[in-house]
Amino acid sequence: MDESEDQAGAQLRKFQKELSTGTVALALLAVLAAAGEPMYGYQIAKTLERVGQGALAGKQSALYPVLRNLQAAGLLDSFVEPSDAGPPRRYYRITDAGHGALRNWAAAWRATRDSVDAVLEGIRQ
Amino acid sequence: MNTRKLPTTIPEYLEHLRRSLAGADPALVQDALYDAEEYLRSELAEQPDKTEAEVIAAVASSYGAPDEVADIYRDTEVKVQTALRPPPPRPRSSALGRFFGVFADPRAYASLFYMVLSLATGIFYFTWAVTGLSVSLGLSITIIGIPLLILFFGSVRVLSLVEGRIVEVMLGERMPRRPLYTVRGRSLLQRIGDMFTDVRTWSTILYMMLLMPLGIVYFTLVVTLLGTALSSIAAPVLVWLGIAEAGTSIGGWGILNYDGEVLSTSMPAIGLPLLLLFGIVLLFATMHIARGIGRVHGLFAKHLLVKTAQHD
Repeated sequence: MDESEDQAGAQLRKFQKELSTGTVALALLAVLAAAGEPMYGYQIAKTLERVGQGALAGKQSALYPVLRNLQAAGLLDSFVEPSDAGPPRRYYRITDAGHGALRNWAAAWRATRDSVDAVLEGIRQ
Repeated sequence: MNTRKLPTTIPEYLEHLRRSLAGADPALVQDALYDAEEYLRSELAEQPDKTEAEVIAAVASSYGAPDEVADIYRDTEVKVQTALRPPPPRPRSSALGRFFGVFADPRAYASLFYMVLSLATGIFYFTWAVTGLSVSLGLSITIIGIPLLILFFGSVRVLSLVEGRIVEVMLGERMPRRPLYTVRGRSLLQRIGDMFTDVRTWSTILYMMLLMPLGIVYFTLVVTLLGTALSSIAAPVLVWLGIAEAGTSIGGWGILNYDGEVLSTSMPAIGLPLLLLFGIVLLFATMHIARGIGRVHGLFAKHLLVKTAQHD
């Protein structure tokens, strides 16, 4: 049935959206921490695109507001630099508070992943 | 549904995005356009062998088509607003509760502070605008005035963003967090021309000049109202504590006088409870007035500092 397929697709999209709400901020912090140098929005989006699967494969326009929030929360700081390719770019860099948050969030994420995996183990037959 | 063809150039894409965001908060529109332009320009610069139309077609699946981007920004904004803002105080049911509940509203204190601050910022903006405009216009008959004028217009844009931040933090009105993009692909001279014809430059200068008289009024209101309210509260308390004398008149009627030796109030002892009540009511009324002015000023600032129609 076409209609039930549509519905299943919509439910999957909703689930992925809810998943990404929490994980995108963690992924952005991780990308910036791993890079070790300031990156601008487009670079971050492309880095994430290379590894992004599942919930992280959403539209990249969703990343910019999250970057802004992380900056407002003091986990990132940013500066603007002119570029010859186009408009001036806003570079983001992870702060000390950001590193701290990343450690805590990563631990929370691993615990969540393990327990979800453990529960899913039960249905794998 | 949407029968418009897909955009093939960056300005078209941005225009499409702006239309999709119609009715949204103008400050959100400005931020969304800034982000989109950064992404599109970077993508175009990364892939020099592709045409603009091809790049934009590819971008629709990675960054998102204008309509999708508009939805994402609308969505995220709601989430962020609820996450970052302090929770609004629980609405009180009784009229009395509503009147005194203002005491627990951080917005009222912030507005009060903004009103005091606006005297300083108002004088600065006014001086800056008048000096900048008159010096550079005056010198424009010689060649040196032209670069000065351009610098001045640049500074107006920066100050507009700064005032926007102050207004958002203190008055809670959503203001842009990113500057306006200038239209690309235009020569330096054309872009300088754009600065002159941009309504926002002129409305910002108008705002900068208006903030001085407004700041004086705000400051006077706060100082007068708070002074009257606080001394009306202090006078009865001081009399009851035996520190001040009641019913004396020194050089006219005064709520609370100090002549170098004695503290006194002109209110006779019998009227003191009434004076205390008046002071308390006035104090709370002042906070209501401050919160109200803050709200109105926020809208006023948004109107003059953020242009609703961008790139039109």
